Amino acid sequence: MSHRARAFLAATAVTVTLAACTSGGGGGDDASLVGEGTGADCTIGSPVPVGAALSLTGAAASYGESQQMGLELAAEQLNADGGVEYELTIEDDQTDPRQGIAVFEQFTADDGVSVIIGPTLSNGGFQAQPIAQEEGVPVLAISNTADGITEQGDYIFRDSLTEAQVIPQTIAKAKEVYGAESAVVMYSNDDAFTEAGYEVFAESLDAEGIEVAETLEFSTSDTDFRALLTEARSADADLLVVSALIEAAIPLVTQARELGIDVPIVGGNGFNNPQLMADAGDAAEGVVVGAAWNSASDNPENTAFLADFEEKYGTPPDQFAAQAYTGLMLIDTAVRSTCSGERDAIKEGLGTIDGVPTVLGELTINDARDAEHEAVVQIVEDGAFAVLD
Amino acid sequence: MFTESTVTFIALGAIFAFSFYAVLNAGQLSLGQAGFASVAAYTSVLVAPDPDVVGDVPALLIALVVGAAVGTAAAVVLGLPTMHLRGVFLAIATLGFAEAVRIFLLNAEWTGGAQGMSVPKIVTPAIAWMVLALVAYWFWRSGPTRYGRALEAIREDELAAGAMGIDVGRHRLGAFATAGAVAGLYGVLWAYTVRLVAPADFGFTAAIDGLVTAMVGGTTMFIGPVVGSAFLTVIPEIQRALGVEAGWIRPFVAGLLLLVVILFLPGGLAGRIPRRIRVPNLGGGSGGSDAGSDADGGSTDLRTREHAPRGDVVARLSGLSKDYGGVHAVRDVDLEIHSGELLGLIGPNGAGKTTLVNMISGLVAPSSGEASVLGVTAGRTPVHRVAAAGVSRTFQHSKLFDRLSALENVLVGGHLVTRPTLLRRLAWLPSARRDEQAALTHAARCLRRVGMLDAATARAGALSYGDQRRLEIARALAADPSLLILDEPAAGMNTVEAGELAHLIRSLADDGLAVLLIEHNVGLVRQICDRVVVLNFGEVIAAGVPAEVAADPRVVEAYLGTEA
Repeated sequence: MSHRARAFLAATAVTVTLAACTSGGGGGDDASLVGEGTGADCTIGSPVPVGAALSLTGAAASYGESQQMGLELAAEQLNADGGVEYELTIEDDQTDPRQGIAVFEQFTADDGVSVIIGPTLSNGGFQAQPIAQEEGVPVLAISNTADGITEQGDYIFRDSLTEAQVIPQTIAKAKEVYGAESAVVMYSNDDAFTEAGYEVFAESLDAEGIEVAETLEFSTSDTDFRALLTEARSADADLLVVSALIEAAIPLVTQARELGIDVPIVGGNGFNNPQLMADAGDAAEGVVVGAAWNSASDNPENTAFLADFEEKYGTPPDQFAAQAYTGLMLIDTAVRSTCSGERDAIKEGLGTIDGVPTVLGELTINDARDAEHEAVVQIVEDGAFAVLD
Repeated sequence: MFTESTVTFIALGAIFAFSFYAVLNAGQLSLGQAGFASVAAYTSVLVAPDPDVVGDVPALLIALVVGAAVGTAAAVVLGLPTMHLRGVFLAIATLGFAEAVRIFLLNAEWTGGAQGMSVPKIVTPAIAWMVLALVAYWFWRSGPTRYGRALEAIREDELAAGAMGIDVGRHRLGAFATAGAVAGLYGVLWAYTVRLVAPADFGFTAAIDGLVTAMVGGTTMFIGPVVGSAFLTVIPEIQRALGVEAGWIRPFVAGLLLLVVILFLPGGLAGRIPRRIRVPNLGGGSGGSDAGSDADGGSTDLRTREHAPRGDVVARLSGLSKDYGGVHAVRDVDLEIHSGELLGLIGPNGAGKTTLVNMISGLVAPSSGEASVLGVTAGRTPVHRVAAAGVSRTFQHSKLFDRLSALENVLVGGHLVTRPTLLRRLAWLPSARRDEQAALTHAARCLRRVGMLDAATARAGALSYGDQRRLEIARALAADPSLLILDEPAAGMNTVEAGELAHLIRSLADDGLAVLLIEHNVGLVRQICDRVVVLNFGEVIAAGVPAEVAADPRVVEAYLGTEA
């Protein structure tokens, strides 16, 4: 055992040395990643390696699985189109920072990938994305909504709208449609995503002059909200504003209706999931959801996406799948813009994306490397999302 | 296959596991380490200077010192009110603490809530392994010291450890504080590795991770946490390298491997590494009569005890009673024990003999009356103080430290007469080696006196029943007692063994010890005791020289029943 332990230490030492000796460089076999032609005619000899670090297991697994489906559908379609082939490697970060960091280090190694998608959660992004920034590998975040993600460096991009881009619009719309003057706010305070959402909700309510009658906190793992909802009901406000993940949203909405709360319930990105109608049923009717993706949009990209997704997987996609799908499509646009699958070329390409038609609508990457596209305020009507107007 | 972070995380995982090892090794199950780690991480991130101003390494050093101090302080603050809890109750209490810390961090203004605080990345694999080396060094050096053995003794049998003069409460708190300090180091390293300190990384899952790493590695060898962490950290890397598809299959396989390890290596991966025990060479053949406790008392490297002169009263019981509910286990016993006297205590089953000696040795507080033993009042003084006053005992049912070797058992018995060596061993001072050597020699002599030197390296739990009884006597003798209480030492022995034992006990009294012998074997008692006390239904029914007592009709009646 002791000489085995010694061998292990030796192996560790070798690894440290190797890691220290190698320095960052371009992605793999440089020459063949540069192709000929431009745009749709671009042809690149060797496949462009794309890495995705998703939370396939662990706390955020439900989002990671949606994202995996979206990415695989996109890769399948792009590879069928031809010209440029994508070698998509999906890795699991297990919703664990250690795994996220290890996966990013692997992706950014010399024989790594040209561009990284992910990770699923914003906190994971802050922990892993700096590695890609340091190694000069472009990252496209597809679900990080926290402030400061793209401020980490010029290699970090995202196609997911921040809460600040979606929520103010939602609150303004709710005020306009319902003439709301007061609101009760509920949010889970132990999750970075919902907490950030709450902060923007609070600011927007303030900006719109809607009085916050009560702010109630719960935990992401809670499933019984009756006590809190009874308290919310007694506040007798015009709106119930909720920043929660879908797991909490479903019982919360159901129980609110059971308790006779019939004011509009306003949710954020976490609510933009067909599961809401599937599981909450009638209770979901009239729920207002501000979202980065208009699932009811009739633009051709979206219509095709809905149909293809349904056909491949037998279930309707959620926002995470839509943003993931769009992510790989944007990378394709970036690759084709310079007809190169090299890291820096993709970085340049992503920066020039301007008015590209996508599932999410016409999308532009701005100077801060954040996506700009139309957000949508939806309402659940007859078991489906419809645009609220 | 290994990236830089893998190497770092093996070290970090091992450090965190050491914070569990610190308490598990002392028999405590705590799940509060994640709480200590998060308190330490947040505080040090807040307090430590900006690395851009003072440089990376100084900033990290300050953060580590702050982290360890905060972790220790948190552990002491939590430990003071919870140290009397045992087993799963302590686990729940500490888990509650960790959860309270997490909720506080989520809701406090300065912590950034669930989104956490951003931290510069400073920790490199080399730094992480250096800190790990430091932590491992502590556990490596502290293991074979008086302190380290005391912790192991507490793990094996708390009651016996106390009876050997170990201050159980203080030692448990010490182990807990060590766990806090190590967890604090982990928290700081974690923050400066992952660039973000957020409450989610210090939740229940983290606590279970640390516990599992410690258990898989093994909690009886200091290298265990390192082995455990390497194993658990490398599993996902190997799966990735082998191309196992990402998703549920990987944690599933990892779970199965864990199951296999726990099933087939219950002592953990490092549990198979044998403990090295050096038995000192005593020389001078196997003759035991010259090497008793008196000879040890003369040794300059051991603390010596002033024994009362022969004939002095070492214990005086007056009106001593113990009631359990309505049952009078012991009723109004008056008794004096003199040094140099071998006093037999006999009586039928349930007569209250064990309750009486439990009161004399301070394990049980009397309901009324007083037991004044060697200047302390037993029952109102903590057990280890009674032991320190010079009372040493064996138990009716063996209470050996089963997973320790025979020699280590006796070393623990010598707790009171040996010197603390921890700090000097950490500094590699030669005097520590000398003191440890003296302790070993003393223990070996005690083993030789009961004729068990040949079994010195055997595990106590693996010894035969008779050998266990003798080992208990050796352990009790190692404390160099003034009053030795032997609770049915001959039980389970054959006639030859019992005869040898009788000879040994007699020689102890002849050396000047006061010996209180509880025994069923009336023949043995008649043969060697100076005086006999007979107890029936909690009361003294006869006392005097053996021959008289044996003829006393009340004694005959108590043993044989009355025909009338």
